[in-house]
Amino acid sequence: MSAPEMNTHEPEILRRRELLKRAAWLLGGAISAPAALAILQGCSAKDADTAAPVALKVLSAAQLALVAEIAETMIPKTTTSGAKDAGVPAFIDQVLDAVYPKDAQQRFTAGLADFEAAAKAADKSFLDRDPADRAAFVKQSLEAALAGEREPKPFILMARELTLLGFFTSQVGIDENMDYVAVPGAYHGCVPLSQMKKHVYWE
Amino acid sequence: METNSFDAIVVGSGMSGGWAAKELTEKGLKTLVLERGRMVKHGEYPTATKNPWDLPYGNRITQETRKHKYVWSRTGYPTPANEHWMIDDLENPFVEEAPFDWMRGHHVGGRSIMWARQSYRFGPLDMEANGKEGVGVPWPVTYDEIAPWYDKAEIFAGISGSADGLYQLPDGKYLPPHDLNCVETDFKRRLDDKLGRKLIIGRCANLTAPLTHNESPQRGTCQARNLCIRGCPYGGYFSSVSATLPSAERTGNMTLLADQIVYELIYDNDRGKATGVRVLDAKTGNQTDYFAKIVFLCASALGSAYIMLNSTSARFPNGFGNDSGELGHNIMDHNKPGSSNASVEGYLDVAYTGRRPNGFYIPRYRNVGKDKRNYLRGFGYQGRAARAGYARFNDSAAIGEDLKKEFQEPGPWNISMTAFGEILPYHDNHCRIDRDKKDKYGLPLLVVNAIVRDNERKMEEDMKNDAAEMLTAAGFKDVKVRSDSYNVGNSIHEMGTARMGADPKKSVLNKFNQVHACKNVFVTDGSFMPSSGCQNPSLTYMAFTARAADHAVSELKKGNL
Repeated sequence: MSAPEMNTHEPEILRRRELLKRAAWLLGGAISAPAALAILQGCSAKDADTAAPVALKVLSAAQLALVAEIAETMIPKTTTSGAKDAGVPAFIDQVLDAVYPKDAQQRFTAGLADFEAAAKAADKSFLDRDPADRAAFVKQSLEAALAGEREPKPFILMARELTLLGFFTSQVGIDENMDYVAVPGAYHGCVPLSQMKKHVYWE
Repeated sequence: METNSFDAIVVGSGMSGGWAAKELTEKGLKTLVLERGRMVKHGEYPTATKNPWDLPYGNRITQETRKHKYVWSRTGYPTPANEHWMIDDLENPFVEEAPFDWMRGHHVGGRSIMWARQSYRFGPLDMEANGKEGVGVPWPVTYDEIAPWYDKAEIFAGISGSADGLYQLPDGKYLPPHDLNCVETDFKRRLDDKLGRKLIIGRCANLTAPLTHNESPQRGTCQARNLCIRGCPYGGYFSSVSATLPSAERTGNMTLLADQIVYELIYDNDRGKATGVRVLDAKTGNQTDYFAKIVFLCASALGSAYIMLNSTSARFPNGFGNDSGELGHNIMDHNKPGSSNASVEGYLDVAYTGRRPNGFYIPRYRNVGKDKRNYLRGFGYQGRAARAGYARFNDSAAIGEDLKKEFQEPGPWNISMTAFGEILPYHDNHCRIDRDKKDKYGLPLLVVNAIVRDNERKMEEDMKNDAAEMLTAAGFKDVKVRSDSYNVGNSIHEMGTARMGADPKKSVLNKFNQVHACKNVFVTDGSFMPSSGCQNPSLTYMAFTARAADHAVSELKKGNL
């Protein structure tokens, strides 16, 4: 079997944005959050005045902006797509709403506030830092969380799990990083890695 | 009423009902198949071709699903990709005197759509144990009697596997086996060398090659997608929707009605026969009676027990055919109290392609031959070795370019396996009907009370110790044995509510799955099992259903029913 035709990555972002817009319409009252939409589109906040409204479920626009930059710091856009390209910020809001119980949602938002407070206490707001500074702060947070108590799961590890889940269930995340074949046709149990294209879709 | 009369009625359209429908219609009987859930036709699998990014919430179960499918959700099975096969437990209540993971699929095809497809024969070791040990009732059928029916079931369904020559796990008629992967192949060799234990590739109902017959032109080979639980549009695995029901349909003798809840057998006291079934339409609530010369109950072990317990008459005040008092009793499942895993060093230059819908199997070795334990029966392990995916980074501090570089490489190997053990048939593990509690249709509720007992707990020690021993002996690292609380039902192999036996005083069915006290009613789902073995039981239901249908038609022709 040949690999399926690769799709372009643009529709992924569009699809999730459309989904959000449709959800907002169905609910009858959209929450206007131009900054949030700007993040979904990967453009700057000041371009967002013309954007359509988007419905956020759990996070405020300000919280979404912070979550987006944390996710993007973990998986940044380089020569390949980053977390924002994959629609991870909106994905996190949706999953928090539908999948997580209320207490976990609250732990997430409280943890997000603590994260920002710690950033400010150490130096300055997370969003005011440059990418290298953000990376250092996220890495430090992760290392502290991994060394400490894991129950209940610390905020930064919740954010990380959601970022990875959102990224690796998106089309850009899969197409650019894995050899995903929708219909492999057969299983071959022991193949030299040298004969394989790249990271096969293992999940 | 003329239009409500048939030669045969089959209640349920899943694993057993599909086989009953196929066999009876192929032998010329006008057959009515009644399914309580919605219609599903082969190919109508709404999520089967969705990509990971087409599913909401990263395919994670939502809070809403957890609330409604709360029994299913205990197991972690439901996801947005498959939950449409899982019933709403809130709308279909039952009473749990002990927690019971009763996982139901109300739709045409039943759980044959979602099953894990592992297909093993019960052998002489399993079928002689009750008799030799004085447990429950002896099987009234020998392995030699059922072996040709296993052949028939395997050939028609298409079971892949290897012939391994093991006494405790008889070989069958197989399509080519799936590959073991590199790590599993070495594990197999080390287990044999160091502990004398065998590891084989799982025997599963996935077509690794074209079928050896042309009775199922709608079926193609397995595409190694490992999305079977969604339903396979290729017909790459066996389900009643992909295989037996299309065969029944082609005879022109089948009438299949969905949304029909059979809740009672109609018994004619004067003739000493069942004359049909009483049905509620799930959508309208209208009641209809359907009539036939023979009735096959294939509604699942608890489903069929419910119908029989609910069918009382002057002749059967305690439930249909319940002269022995065993109806609803002896509920079994497979004991699955935990799983174990380990990390595997090395093998970094090798991997696999495709997604195998199967794993390895370590057949029972306890209480086999000279091995003697302080408990009865045994267990087998099902597992797999695999290279870790992106989820390994949930517990890592790598970010940015480093992380991106790392996740483009395959992860390290790990191995995991789960033991499935035999549960003995205890009279106290039972279900019954509570007529004071009603569901939304006004039907009384089923009460279930089944727990694991001493023999299973003793076995559990070996299941855990042996797993650690085997993984360590193979040289794997970070060996972890996890204990899970186990509710009966969790293995989805419920059995034994209307066991077969030679003695009508101790059993409900005879050796041909006929109700002892009413020979024109046959029960061929997991209800009939006198013992549970430790193997997945579906193949055994197929074989016994085909044999019972053959007997039914022959008896009908002789005028005996």
